[in-house]
Amino acid sequence: MKHEEYKEMLALDALDALDVGDDERRALDAHLATCADCRAEHSALRDAAAALAYAAPAPQAASPQLRARILAAVTSSSQDAHQRGGNGASSRDGAAEATHASNVSSPDEFEQRRASREVRVSRSILRFGSLAASVALVALLVSLALLWQRNNRLQSELARLSATVNQTQQELALTRADRELLAQPAAHSAALTGTKMAERAHARLTFDAETGRAMLTAADLPPAPSGKAYQLWFIAAGKPPMPGSVFQPDPRGRAEMRETIPPEGRTAAVFAVTLEPAGGVSAPTGEIYLKSSAS
Amino acid sequence: MVEAAPQTSHDTELLHAIARGDESALAALYDRYHSILLGLLLRILHSRVEAEDVLQEVFLQIWQRAANFDEARGRAFTWMVTLARSRAIDRLRALQSRQRADDTALRDAPDPVGDASDDAYHAEQREIVRAALAQIPEEQRRALLLAYFEGLTQSEIAARLGQPLGTVKTRMRSGLGKLRDLLGEKMGRGAGLNF
Repeated sequence: MKHEEYKEMLALDALDALDVGDDERRALDAHLATCADCRAEHSALRDAAAALAYAAPAPQAASPQLRARILAAVTSSSQDAHQRGGNGASSRDGAAEATHASNVSSPDEFEQRRASREVRVSRSILRFGSLAASVALVALLVSLALLWQRNNRLQSELARLSATVNQTQQELALTRADRELLAQPAAHSAALTGTKMAERAHARLTFDAETGRAMLTAADLPPAPSGKAYQLWFIAAGKPPMPGSVFQPDPRGRAEMRETIPPEGRTAAVFAVTLEPAGGVSAPTGEIYLKSSAS
Repeated sequence: MVEAAPQTSHDTELLHAIARGDESALAALYDRYHSILLGLLLRILHSRVEAEDVLQEVFLQIWQRAANFDEARGRAFTWMVTLARSRAIDRLRALQSRQRADDTALRDAPDPVGDASDDAYHAEQREIVRAALAQIPEEQRRALLLAYFEGLTQSEIAARLGQPLGTVKTRMRSGLGKLRDLLGEKMGRGAGLNF
Protein backbone atom coordinates (compact mmCIF):
# COMPACT_ATOMS: atom_id res chain seq x y z
CA MET A 1 0.00 0.00 0.00
CA LYS A 2 1.02 3.57 -0.50
CA HIS A 3 1.55 6.27 2.10
CA GLU A 4 -1.77 7.94 1.17
CA GLU A 5 -3.69 4.74 1.73
CA TYR A 6 -2.18 4.30 5.17
CA LYS A 7 -2.86 7.92 5.93
CA GLU A 8 -6.54 7.33 5.18
CA MET A 9 -6.61 4.52 7.72
CA LEU A 10 -5.26 6.64 10.59
CA ALA A 11 -8.48 8.31 11.74
CA LEU A 12 -10.44 5.07 11.55
CA ASP A 13 -7.75 3.27 13.50
CA ALA A 14 -7.70 6.04 16.11
CA LEU A 15 -11.44 5.46 16.51
CA ASP A 16 -10.84 1.70 16.70
CA ALA A 17 -13.31 1.40 13.82
CA LEU A 18 -11.14 -0.33 11.21
CA ASP A 19 -12.46 -3.72 10.30
CA VAL A 20 -9.40 -4.99 8.56
CA GLY A 21 -7.53 -8.23 9.07
CA ASP A 22 -4.46 -8.71 11.19
CA ASP A 23 -2.21 -8.56 8.13
CA GLU A 24 -3.41 -5.08 7.16
CA ARG A 25 -3.11 -3.89 10.72
CA ARG A 26 0.42 -5.19 10.94
CA ALA A 27 1.16 -3.45 7.67
CA LEU A 28 -0.21 -0.22 9.11
CA ASP A 29 1.89 -0.62 12.24
CA ALA A 30 4.94 -1.29 10.10
CA HIS A 31 4.26 1.85 8.07
CA LEU A 32 3.85 3.89 11.24
CA ALA A 33 7.20 2.62 12.43
CA THR A 34 8.91 4.13 9.40
CA CYS A 35 6.77 7.22 8.67
CA ALA A 36 7.19 10.08 11.14
CA ASP A 37 4.50 12.11 9.36
CA CYS A 38 1.85 9.42 9.81
CA ARG A 39 3.05 8.74 13.34
CA ALA A 40 2.52 12.35 14.39
CA GLU A 41 -0.89 12.50 12.75
CA HIS A 42 -1.94 9.18 14.28
CA SER A 43 -0.92 10.38 17.71
CA ALA A 44 -2.84 13.64 17.34
CA LEU A 45 -5.94 11.79 16.07
CA ARG A 46 -5.76 9.39 18.99
CA ASP A 47 -5.64 12.34 21.38
CA ALA A 48 -8.67 13.83 19.64
CA ALA A 49 -10.54 10.52 19.86
CA ALA A 50 -9.68 10.23 23.56
CA ALA A 51 -11.09 13.72 24.07
CA LEU A 52 -14.48 12.30 23.05
CA ALA A 53 -14.59 10.86 26.57
CA TYR A 54 -15.52 14.39 27.60
CA ALA A 55 -18.54 14.23 25.31
CA ALA A 56 -20.11 11.80 27.78
CA PRO A 57 -22.30 13.42 30.42
CA ALA A 58 -20.59 13.92 33.75
CA PRO A 59 -21.70 11.18 36.14
CA GLN A 60 -23.12 11.67 39.58
CA ALA A 61 -20.36 11.65 42.12
CA ALA A 62 -18.93 8.23 42.82
CA SER A 63 -19.19 7.14 46.43
CA PRO A 64 -16.19 7.06 48.77
CA GLN A 65 -17.05 3.38 49.23
CA LEU A 66 -16.41 2.76 45.55
CA ARG A 67 -13.06 4.49 45.85
CA ALA A 68 -12.11 2.43 48.88
CA ARG A 69 -13.30 -0.78 47.26
CA ILE A 70 -11.45 -0.23 44.01
CA LEU A 71 -8.19 0.92 45.57
CA ALA A 72 -8.25 -1.97 48.03
CA ALA A 73 -9.01 -4.53 45.32
CA VAL A 74 -6.42 -3.16 42.95
CA THR A 75 -3.52 -2.66 45.31
CA SER A 76 -4.07 -6.07 46.90
CA SER A 77 -3.41 -7.63 43.50
CA SER A 78 0.20 -8.00 42.61
CA GLN A 79 1.67 -6.16 39.69
CA ASP A 80 3.01 -8.49 37.02
CA ALA A 81 6.64 -9.02 37.83
CA HIS A 82 7.74 -8.49 34.24
CA GLN A 83 5.78 -5.24 34.02
CA ARG A 84 7.69 -3.78 36.91
CA GLY A 85 10.82 -1.71 37.03
CA GLY A 86 10.74 0.27 33.79
CA ASN A 87 12.42 -1.84 31.11
CA GLY A 88 12.14 -5.06 33.05
CA ALA A 89 10.05 -6.54 30.27
CA SER A 90 9.93 -10.24 29.63
CA SER A 91 12.20 -11.57 26.89
CA ARG A 92 9.29 -11.95 24.48
CA ASP A 93 8.03 -8.44 25.08
CA GLY A 94 11.58 -7.20 25.02
CA ALA A 95 12.18 -8.68 21.59
CA ALA A 96 8.94 -7.20 20.30
CA GLU A 97 9.81 -3.81 21.78
CA ALA A 98 13.17 -3.89 20.03
CA THR A 99 11.61 -4.76 16.69
CA HIS A 100 9.06 -1.98 16.84
CA ALA A 101 11.11 0.41 18.87
CA SER A 102 9.94 3.50 17.04
CA ASN A 103 6.37 2.35 16.59
CA VAL A 104 3.61 4.62 17.82
CA SER A 105 1.30 1.77 18.78
CA SER A 106 3.23 -0.47 21.12
CA PRO A 107 3.15 -4.17 20.27
CA ASP A 108 1.51 -4.67 23.60
CA GLU A 109 -1.28 -2.38 22.51
CA PHE A 110 -1.59 -4.15 19.19
CA GLU A 111 -1.90 -7.50 20.90
CA GLN A 112 -4.45 -6.04 23.23
CA ARG A 113 -6.57 -4.67 20.43
CA ARG A 114 -6.45 -7.89 18.51
CA ALA A 115 -7.19 -9.85 21.67
CA SER A 116 -10.03 -7.46 22.33
CA ARG A 117 -11.65 -8.24 18.99
CA GLU A 118 -11.20 -11.93 19.59
CA VAL A 119 -12.69 -11.52 23.02
CA ARG A 120 -15.75 -9.84 21.56
CA VAL A 121 -16.43 -12.99 19.56
CA SER A 122 -15.54 -15.47 22.24
CA ARG A 123 -17.26 -13.67 25.12
CA SER A 124 -20.66 -15.02 24.13
CA ILE A 125 -19.24 -18.48 23.94
CA LEU A 126 -17.72 -17.92 27.36
CA ARG A 127 -21.04 -16.78 28.74
CA PHE A 128 -22.63 -20.03 27.68
CA GLY A 129 -19.50 -21.78 28.79
CA SER A 130 -19.75 -20.32 32.26
CA LEU A 131 -23.43 -21.26 32.45
CA ALA A 132 -22.50 -24.79 31.46
CA ALA A 133 -19.72 -24.70 34.03
CA SER A 134 -22.19 -23.63 36.74
CA VAL A 135 -24.54 -26.46 35.81
CA ALA A 136 -21.62 -28.87 35.78
CA LEU A 137 -20.50 -27.60 39.20
CA VAL A 138 -23.93 -28.16 40.72
CA ALA A 139 -24.06 -31.61 39.17
CA LEU A 140 -20.61 -32.32 40.54
CA LEU A 141 -21.59 -31.22 44.04
CA VAL A 142 -24.72 -33.37 43.97
CA SER A 143 -22.70 -36.36 42.77
CA LEU A 144 -20.16 -35.70 45.50
CA ALA A 145 -22.88 -35.67 48.15
CA LEU A 146 -24.32 -38.90 46.77
CA LEU A 147 -20.88 -40.45 46.60
CA TRP A 148 -20.18 -39.35 50.14
CA GLN A 149 -23.40 -40.99 51.37
CA ARG A 150 -22.63 -44.09 49.39
CA ASN A 151 -19.12 -44.13 50.71
CA ASN A 152 -20.45 -44.00 54.26
CA ARG A 153 -22.82 -46.87 53.54
CA LEU A 154 -20.07 -48.90 51.95
CA GLN A 155 -17.74 -48.21 54.85
CA SER A 156 -20.20 -49.47 57.43
CA GLU A 157 -20.94 -52.43 55.19
CA LEU A 158 -17.21 -53.03 54.90
CA ALA A 159 -16.79 -52.83 58.68
CA ARG A 160 -19.59 -55.34 59.11
CA LEU A 161 -18.08 -57.66 56.52
CA SER A 162 -14.64 -57.33 58.10
CA ALA A 163 -16.08 -58.37 61.43
CA THR A 164 -17.76 -61.32 59.75
CA VAL A 165 -14.54 -62.25 58.01
CA ASN A 166 -12.64 -62.05 61.30
CA GLN A 167 -15.16 -64.25 62.98
CA THR A 168 -15.12 -66.67 60.08
CA GLN A 169 -11.35 -66.77 60.15
CA GLN A 170 -11.35 -67.47 63.86
CA GLU A 171 -13.91 -70.21 63.36
CA LEU A 172 -11.92 -71.59 60.48
CA ALA A 173 -8.77 -71.61 62.60
CA LEU A 174 -10.62 -73.52 65.28
CA THR A 175 -12.02 -75.93 62.75
CA ARG A 176 -8.52 -76.51 61.39
CA ALA A 177 -7.24 -77.07 64.91
CA ASP A 178 -10.10 -79.47 65.54
CA ARG A 179 -9.37 -81.32 62.32
CA GLU A 180 -5.69 -81.50 63.11
CA LEU A 181 -6.51 -82.79 66.51
CA LEU A 182 -8.96 -85.35 65.21
CA ALA A 183 -6.75 -86.42 62.32
CA GLN A 184 -3.70 -86.86 64.50
CA PRO A 185 -2.74 -90.55 64.59
CA ALA A 186 -1.61 -90.20 68.21
CA ALA A 187 -4.89 -88.61 69.35
CA HIS A 188 -6.51 -90.24 72.29
CA SER A 189 -10.20 -90.78 72.26
CA ALA A 190 -12.66 -91.81 74.92
CA ALA A 191 -16.32 -92.59 74.44
CA LEU A 192 -18.72 -91.37 77.13
CA THR A 193 -22.13 -92.92 77.54
CA GLY A 194 -25.24 -91.63 79.26
CA THR A 195 -26.00 -92.65 82.77
CA LYS A 196 -29.50 -93.24 84.07
CA MET A 197 -29.90 -89.46 84.21
CA ALA A 198 -29.72 -89.30 80.43
CA GLU A 199 -29.74 -92.73 78.97
CA ARG A 200 -29.74 -91.66 75.35
CA ALA A 201 -26.88 -89.18 75.76
CA HIS A 202 -23.45 -90.00 74.40
CA ALA A 203 -20.22 -88.11 73.88
CA ARG A 204 -16.64 -88.45 72.71
CA LEU A 205 -13.59 -86.74 74.11
CA THR A 206 -10.62 -86.54 71.78
CA PHE A 207 -7.33 -85.19 73.05
CA ASP A 208 -3.66 -84.79 72.35
CA ALA A 209 -1.75 -86.27 75.28
CA GLU A 210 1.26 -84.07 74.46
CA THR A 211 -0.44 -80.66 74.56
CA GLY A 212 -3.66 -81.44 76.39
CA ARG A 213 -5.74 -79.94 73.60
CA ALA A 214 -9.07 -81.65 73.67
CA MET A 215 -12.52 -81.54 72.17
CA LEU A 216 -15.69 -82.90 73.63
CA THR A 217 -18.64 -83.56 71.34
CA ALA A 218 -21.86 -84.60 72.94
CA ALA A 219 -25.35 -85.43 71.70
CA ASP A 220 -28.81 -85.98 73.15
CA LEU A 221 -28.09 -84.23 76.40
CA PRO A 222 -31.16 -82.87 78.15
CA PRO A 223 -31.12 -79.09 78.41
CA ALA A 224 -29.46 -77.79 81.54
CA PRO A 225 -31.97 -76.26 83.98
CA SER A 226 -31.70 -72.56 84.59
CA GLY A 227 -28.59 -71.65 86.59
CA LYS A 228 -26.99 -74.98 85.84
CA ALA A 229 -24.40 -76.18 83.34
CA TYR A 230 -22.62 -79.38 82.53
CA GLN A 231 -19.06 -79.72 83.71
CA LEU A 232 -16.33 -82.07 82.55
CA TRP A 233 -14.18 -83.99 85.05
CA PHE A 234 -10.93 -85.89 84.80
CA ILE A 235 -10.66 -88.71 87.28
CA ALA A 236 -7.39 -90.48 87.99
CA ALA A 237 -7.18 -93.46 90.25
CA GLY A 238 -6.68 -92.53 93.86
CA LYS A 239 -7.08 -88.81 93.28
CA PRO A 240 -10.00 -86.39 93.62
CA PRO A 241 -11.68 -85.54 90.29
CA MET A 242 -10.00 -82.68 88.49
CA PRO A 243 -12.43 -80.01 87.22
CA GLY A 244 -12.70 -79.22 83.51
CA SER A 245 -14.75 -76.56 81.76
CA VAL A 246 -18.48 -76.05 81.83
CA PHE A 247 -20.69 -76.12 78.78
CA GLN A 248 -24.28 -75.86 77.63
CA PRO A 249 -25.86 -78.06 74.99
CA ASP A 250 -27.79 -76.43 72.15
CA PRO A 251 -31.59 -76.85 72.00
CA ARG A 252 -31.14 -80.09 70.09
CA GLY A 253 -29.02 -81.50 72.93
CA ARG A 254 -25.74 -81.18 71.05
CA ALA A 255 -22.58 -79.70 72.54
CA GLU A 256 -19.13 -79.10 71.26
CA MET A 257 -16.50 -77.87 73.69
CA ARG A 258 -12.83 -77.21 73.35
CA GLU A 259 -10.75 -77.86 76.36
CA THR A 260 -7.18 -77.95 77.48
CA ILE A 261 -6.63 -80.86 79.82
CA PRO A 262 -4.10 -80.23 82.62
CA PRO A 263 -1.11 -82.60 82.53
CA GLU A 264 -2.35 -84.70 85.44
CA GLY A 265 -5.72 -85.10 83.73
CA ARG A 266 -4.27 -86.52 80.54
CA THR A 267 -3.57 -89.80 82.21
CA ALA A 268 -7.03 -89.96 83.77
CA ALA A 269 -8.74 -93.30 83.75
CA VAL A 270 -12.20 -91.91 83.61
CA PHE A 271 -13.87 -88.82 82.12
CA ALA A 272 -17.23 -87.74 83.39
CA VAL A 273 -19.80 -84.98 82.94
CA THR A 274 -21.96 -83.76 85.83
CA LEU A 275 -24.67 -81.15 86.16
CA GLU A 276 -23.35 -78.30 88.28
CA PRO A 277 -24.01 -74.64 89.10
CA ALA A 278 -23.51 -72.63 85.90
CA GLY A 279 -20.20 -71.12 87.06
CA GLY A 280 -18.62 -74.51 87.63
CA VAL A 281 -17.30 -76.00 90.85
CA SER A 282 -13.95 -77.35 92.02
CA ALA A 283 -15.35 -80.64 93.24
CA PRO A 284 -18.33 -82.44 91.76
CA THR A 285 -21.65 -81.91 93.59
CA GLY A 286 -24.29 -82.96 91.04
CA GLU A 287 -25.44 -86.04 89.26
CA ILE A 288 -23.22 -87.74 86.69
CA TYR A 289 -24.80 -87.56 83.21
CA LEU A 290 -21.98 -88.90 81.05
CA LYS A 291 -19.14 -91.19 81.92
CA SER A 292 -16.39 -93.05 80.11
CA SER A 293 -15.76 -96.64 80.91
CA ALA A 294 -12.48 -97.10 82.70
CA SER A 295 -9.74 -97.69 80.18
CA MET B 1 -7.10 27.17 31.55
CA VAL B 2 -4.68 25.20 33.63
CA GLU B 3 -1.08 25.19 32.45
CA ALA B 4 -0.56 22.36 29.98
CA ALA B 5 2.90 21.19 30.83
CA PRO B 6 2.50 20.62 34.59
CA GLN B 7 -0.73 18.66 34.06
CA THR B 8 0.80 16.39 31.43
CA SER B 9 4.03 15.78 33.27
CA HIS B 10 2.07 15.21 36.44
CA ASP B 11 0.06 12.40 34.82
CA THR B 12 3.19 10.84 33.38
CA GLU B 13 4.93 10.97 36.73
CA LEU B 14 1.91 9.38 38.39
CA LEU B 15 2.00 6.49 35.92
CA HIS B 16 5.71 6.00 36.45
CA ALA B 17 5.18 5.97 40.22
CA ILE B 18 2.33 3.48 39.80
CA ALA B 19 4.64 1.30 37.72
CA ARG B 20 6.96 1.23 40.73
CA GLY B 21 4.08 0.00 42.91
CA ASP B 22 3.32 3.35 44.55
CA GLU B 23 -0.21 3.00 45.94
CA SER B 24 -0.59 6.66 46.81
CA ALA B 25 0.10 7.52 43.16
CA LEU B 26 -2.71 5.20 42.15
CA ALA B 27 -5.03 6.88 44.64
CA ALA B 28 -4.04 10.29 43.24
CA LEU B 29 -4.72 9.12 39.70
CA TYR B 30 -8.08 7.75 40.80
CA ASP B 31 -9.02 11.03 42.45
CA ARG B 32 -8.07 12.94 39.32
CA TYR B 33 -9.66 10.76 36.65
CA HIS B 34 -12.28 8.42 38.10
CA SER B 35 -15.04 10.88 37.32
CA ILE B 36 -14.24 11.36 33.64
CA LEU B 37 -13.61 7.62 33.22
CA LEU B 38 -16.82 6.69 35.01
CA GLY B 39 -18.74 9.13 32.78
CA LEU B 40 -17.25 7.45 29.71
CA LEU B 41 -18.08 3.96 31.00
CA LEU B 42 -21.63 4.99 31.86
CA ARG B 43 -22.13 6.51 28.44
CA ILE B 44 -21.03 3.25 26.82
CA LEU B 45 -22.66 0.78 29.19
CA HIS B 46 -25.78 2.65 30.41
CA SER B 47 -25.53 0.80 33.70
CA ARG B 48 -24.04 2.13 36.91
CA VAL B 49 -23.33 -1.37 38.19
CA GLU B 50 -21.51 -2.43 35.04
CA ALA B 51 -19.69 0.89 34.77
CA GLU B 52 -18.38 0.72 38.34
CA ASP B 53 -17.33 -2.87 37.79
CA VAL B 54 -15.42 -1.97 34.63
CA LEU B 55 -13.93 1.05 36.40
CA GLN B 56 -12.35 -1.37 38.84
CA GLU B 57 -11.02 -3.45 35.93
CA VAL B 58 -9.58 -0.31 34.39
CA PHE B 59 -7.71 0.71 37.52
CA LEU B 60 -6.54 -2.85 37.97
CA GLN B 61 -5.12 -2.76 34.47
CA ILE B 62 -3.53 0.64 35.02
CA TRP B 63 -1.94 -0.78 38.17
CA GLN B 64 -0.64 -3.83 36.38
CA ARG B 65 0.39 -2.27 33.09
CA ALA B 66 1.58 1.20 34.03
CA ALA B 67 5.14 0.12 33.18
CA ASN B 68 4.03 -0.33 29.56
CA PHE B 69 3.08 3.32 29.27
CA ASP B 70 5.64 5.25 27.26
CA GLU B 71 5.19 9.01 27.15
CA ALA B 72 7.15 9.10 23.88
CA ARG B 73 4.26 7.29 22.22
CA GLY B 74 1.35 9.34 23.49
CA ARG B 75 -0.27 11.14 26.34
CA ALA B 76 -1.06 9.53 29.65
CA PHE B 77 -4.66 10.70 29.34
CA THR B 78 -5.00 9.10 25.91
CA TRP B 79 -3.47 5.89 27.21
CA MET B 80 -5.89 5.68 30.14
CA VAL B 81 -8.98 6.67 28.20
CA THR B 82 -8.16 4.27 25.37
CA LEU B 83 -7.73 1.50 27.89
CA ALA B 84 -11.02 2.35 29.62
CA ARG B 85 -12.97 2.58 26.37
CA SER B 86 -11.55 -0.71 25.20
CA ARG B 87 -12.59 -2.48 28.43
CA ALA B 88 -16.04 -0.92 28.25
CA ILE B 89 -16.58 -1.94 24.62
CA ASP B 90 -15.51 -5.49 25.50
CA ARG B 91 -18.04 -5.50 28.33
CA LEU B 92 -20.70 -3.99 26.08
CA ARG B 93 -20.23 -6.77 23.51
CA ALA B 94 -20.43 -9.39 26.21
CA LEU B 95 -23.61 -7.85 27.62
CA GLN B 96 -25.15 -7.58 24.17
CA SER B 97 -24.52 -11.20 23.37
CA ARG B 98 -25.91 -12.21 26.75
CA GLN B 99 -28.87 -9.93 26.17
CA ARG B 100 -29.56 -11.62 22.85
CA ALA B 101 -29.25 -14.99 24.52
CA ASP B 102 -31.58 -14.05 27.36
CA ASP B 103 -33.86 -11.92 25.23
CA THR B 104 -34.27 -9.62 28.19
CA ALA B 105 -33.48 -6.01 28.73
CA LEU B 106 -30.32 -5.60 30.71
CA ARG B 107 -29.93 -1.91 31.06
CA ASP B 108 -30.40 -0.24 34.37
CA ALA B 109 -32.42 2.88 34.64
CA PRO B 110 -30.40 5.61 32.97
CA ASP B 111 -27.94 7.17 35.35
CA PRO B 112 -29.07 10.62 36.41
CA VAL B 113 -26.80 13.20 34.89
CA GLY B 114 -25.21 15.81 37.07
CA ASP B 115 -22.02 17.79 37.05
CA ALA B 116 -21.54 17.37 40.76
CA SER B 117 -18.43 15.24 40.43
CA ASP B 118 -16.61 17.41 37.91
CA ASP B 119 -13.90 19.59 39.28
CA ALA B 120 -13.12 22.89 37.61
CA TYR B 121 -10.46 21.37 35.38
CA HIS B 122 -12.65 18.60 34.01
CA ALA B 123 -15.62 20.94 33.66
CA GLU B 124 -13.51 23.18 31.49
CA GLN B 125 -12.22 20.33 29.35
CA ARG B 126 -15.75 19.07 28.96
CA GLU B 127 -16.91 22.46 27.80
CA ILE B 128 -14.11 22.71 25.24
CA VAL B 129 -14.94 19.29 23.75
CA ARG B 130 -18.68 20.01 23.66
CA ALA B 131 -18.10 23.30 21.95
CA ALA B 132 -15.81 21.66 19.40
CA LEU B 133 -18.29 18.89 18.67
CA ALA B 134 -21.03 21.44 18.16
CA GLN B 135 -19.05 22.88 15.26
CA ILE B 136 -18.78 19.56 13.46
CA PRO B 137 -21.50 18.71 10.90
CA GLU B 138 -24.22 16.52 12.34
CA GLU B 139 -23.64 13.46 10.12
CA GLN B 140 -19.92 13.47 10.89
CA ARG B 141 -20.52 13.88 14.60
CA ARG B 142 -23.02 11.04 14.54
CA ALA B 143 -20.52 8.67 12.89
CA LEU B 144 -17.83 9.63 15.42
CA LEU B 145 -20.08 9.03 18.40
CA LEU B 146 -21.33 5.71 17.03
CA ALA B 147 -17.76 4.51 16.66
CA TYR B 148 -16.61 5.82 19.99
CA PHE B 149 -19.49 5.04 22.32
CA GLU B 150 -21.16 2.11 20.59
CA GLY B 151 -17.89 0.46 19.57
CA LEU B 152 -19.09 0.00 16.00
CA THR B 153 -16.65 -0.56 13.15
CA GLN B 154 -16.77 1.38 9.90
CA SER B 155 -18.87 -1.33 8.20
CA GLU B 156 -21.25 -1.59 11.12
CA ILE B 157 -21.76 2.17 11.11
CA ALA B 158 -22.43 2.09 7.37
CA ALA B 159 -25.05 -0.60 7.93
CA ARG B 160 -26.58 1.27 10.87
CA LEU B 161 -26.82 4.52 8.95
CA GLY B 162 -27.76 2.91 5.65
CA GLN B 163 -24.90 4.76 3.95
CA PRO B 164 -22.18 3.52 1.60
CA LEU B 165 -19.01 2.48 3.40
CA GLY B 166 -16.96 5.05 1.49
CA THR B 167 -19.23 7.84 2.64
CA VAL B 168 -19.04 6.74 6.23
CA LYS B 169 -15.24 6.50 6.16
CA THR B 170 -15.01 9.99 4.71
CA ARG B 171 -17.32 11.37 7.38
CA MET B 172 -15.34 9.78 10.16
CA ARG B 173 -12.02 10.98 8.76
CA SER B 174 -13.34 14.50 8.27
CA GLY B 175 -15.06 14.58 11.63
CA LEU B 176 -12.08 13.42 13.66
CA GLY B 177 -9.71 15.62 11.67
CA LYS B 178 -11.91 18.59 12.38
CA LEU B 179 -12.16 17.74 16.06
CA ARG B 180 -8.38 17.55 16.27
CA ASP B 181 -8.03 20.95 14.60
CA LEU B 182 -10.71 22.55 16.78
CA LEU B 183 -9.23 21.24 20.00
CA GLY B 184 -5.78 22.36 18.88
CA GLU B 185 -7.05 25.83 17.94
CA LYS B 186 -8.83 26.14 21.22
CA MET B 187 -5.61 25.54 23.01
CA GLY B 188 -3.99 28.15 20.82
CA ARG B 189 -0.58 26.54 21.33
CA GLY B 190 -0.58 23.95 18.58
CA ALA B 191 0.03 21.37 21.27
CA GLY B 192 -3.45 19.91 21.45
CA LEU B 193 -5.43 19.40 24.64
CA ASN B 194 -3.53 19.55 27.84
CA PHE B 195 -4.65 16.19 29.13
